[in-house]
Amino acid sequence: MKQSSVVVDLLLLLLTISVLTTPAFSDLVLSKVERRIDVTSQFARVTKSLKVVNPGSESVSEFMLTFPKFLGNNLAYLSVKTKRPLANLSVKKADPKGIPDSISVYSVALPKTLSKGDSLTLEVVATFTNVLQPFPEKITQGEIHLVMLQESAQYLSPYTVESQSLSIKLPNARIESYSKLENTKLQGSELKYGPYKNLPPFSYSPIVVHFESKAAFAVAEKLVREIEVSHWGNVQVTEHYNVVHRGAQLKGEFSRLDFQARPNPRGVSAFRHLLARLPPRAHSIYYRDDIGNISTSEMQSDSKKTELLIEPRFPLFGGWKTFFTIGYGLPLSDFLFASEGKRFVNISFGSPMIDLVTEKIIVQVVLPEGSKDISVTTPFAVKQSQEIKYSHLDIAGRPVVVLEKNNVVPDHNQHIQVYYKFSNINLLSEPLMLISGFFVLFITCIIYTRADFSISKSSPTYLAKLQWDEVVATLQEVQSIIQKCLAAHDKLEASLRDLSRTGDIQTCKAARKSTDSLLKDLSKELKPLLAFLQSSPSASHISPKVEELVVKEKELQEKLMAKHTTVVEGYEKKSSGRDIENRIASQQQKIIALRQEIEDLLEFIDEI
Amino acid sequence: MAAKPIASPIPVALYPTLSVFTLTIGLVITAIFFIYETTSSRKNRSLGKELATSAVASVFLGFGSLFLLLASGVYV
Repeated sequence: MKQSSVVVDLLLLLLTISVLTTPAFSDLVLSKVERRIDVTSQFARVTKSLKVVNPGSESVSEFMLTFPKFLGNNLAYLSVKTKRPLANLSVKKADPKGIPDSISVYSVALPKTLSKGDSLTLEVVATFTNVLQPFPEKITQGEIHLVMLQESAQYLSPYTVESQSLSIKLPNARIESYSKLENTKLQGSELKYGPYKNLPPFSYSPIVVHFESKAAFAVAEKLVREIEVSHWGNVQVTEHYNVVHRGAQLKGEFSRLDFQARPNPRGVSAFRHLLARLPPRAHSIYYRDDIGNISTSEMQSDSKKTELLIEPRFPLFGGWKTFFTIGYGLPLSDFLFASEGKRFVNISFGSPMIDLVTEKIIVQVVLPEGSKDISVTTPFAVKQSQEIKYSHLDIAGRPVVVLEKNNVVPDHNQHIQVYYKFSNINLLSEPLMLISGFFVLFITCIIYTRADFSISKSSPTYLAKLQWDEVVATLQEVQSIIQKCLAAHDKLEASLRDLSRTGDIQTCKAARKSTDSLLKDLSKELKPLLAFLQSSPSASHISPKVEELVVKEKELQEKLMAKHTTVVEGYEKKSSGRDIENRIASQQQKIIALRQEIEDLLEFIDEI
Repeated sequence: MAAKPIASPIPVALYPTLSVFTLTIGLVITAIFFIYETTSSRKNRSLGKELATSAVASVFLGFGSLFLLLASGVYV
């Protein structure tokens, strides 16, 4: 049983301490030690304030911070600060000679050496997981969740402690039992031990507190957090959770009826909700698992944060597991910054869920393709590696920085920075890829219409097809020439109208001359085309029509010319308008009829 | 040195509008290309005209599909 092994550890510790002669360490003296342990959540958070005094003659530059081994193995987060001036001190695990094995030691580098008579106050924050042991270890659905904390009322240290006190903040619930030493007081839900004065180094008195915990013992066995940065304006975060309840295991069966009975529901040891605090302006949040979307979730957002309350598909009792995925998008300008020629992503490391302990976290920061000189700065130690991920529109793949850490508590939810170099030209490679894809499609169309897919080149159908293509081309040319002739006729008519308006005979004659020469050129062009049409056998049914068209067009030309000359003569002779009209009346009718026939023929040719 | 926030080169709110316009223009030019292909006979086709129309059409269609992908949430 776990409890007995820990007690054996404690006894061994006391034994080794009493047997070994403790060597003299540096002569520091802790004049005042105040310890506060907060166990309202599922982990123990210890805040110590130590006043270090150097009465000896040598100056000291480092300080030994010690924990009993069973606590030291479960240490998740440790930070040491000084208040005036406010500074973080670097802490390293140390293994000095002369310290018994059942104590873990951390060496703190003091900001400046402590000379004789100087004193310094250190603020230590340490978080321990797995130290609140459920006792009893298996409970039924209706029982309350009792846990046990084992600690020492006196601060275990290699230095002499002049005055110390300990206060344990318990959750606002039932306190089953606690060790009663001298100077023990229970005030509401706060248990106070001390003050104890003038104790020798390595003094230790174990205490056990057994109390009810209402905290949700939610532990994520594995959390994979993928942060994808896209320079087009979005940071997409996807988190895959495997959550288990690490409190007292459920013994016996689960009865839904008892769980939902009113007024006394049974199942206080289970938890139903998990609350996540996301950055403000998070959008497109989804919550799903392998089955599909999970709709039991609520979101509340304001300008400082976005709160997401999720409820898994079933309440979690001791030993039960669930898995789900949460994803959300964040605006790019909140998290990507430029400084000194490099860009960096400033984003939080741990899970956004409050009070969730993660046994193994893997954070993958996916940077856009073409990022170079990647480096990461974290406020605590992580294991780094790099990978490649192939995603949309990628040629060489995107570089991924993989950060792994074990035993992560909410104290680790600080910001990390990933530095890299990127120029905006690389952004163009994505539209260029799409453009070239579409261009290849068009080229295929062009090749297809130009390529010759016939199997036999001398079959009669193939030859007939070739000839027909030529005929169609010629017909098109004939059509365009006839249109040009018609346009010239229109110009003549227009010049006649101008004449009736302005009375300018010279321009009219000039217009007639130019139109005449134009029409002669066009008929010259028409001759070879006509010859070809007559000669080709496949155009035999069309060529009479085309000839007819040409003949009619010639007639129309002549008639128009005659009409033009008559009108001009009439103006030269200054005869009246009605005279002119009478003379050209019959010609005009024929012109109109001819024009109509020409247009019909053109339509007929068009339809072929 | 103060860090300056980086934003996308084109405002994100413009993506849907841009995608509609560029895609329409691209599709119109594609239609012009295909009409030219089907109404001209083999002899009268000009390769330069075909290539020019298809190049312009593919530029507009490429950008249009990129903005369409971005507007629908696939931040490529």
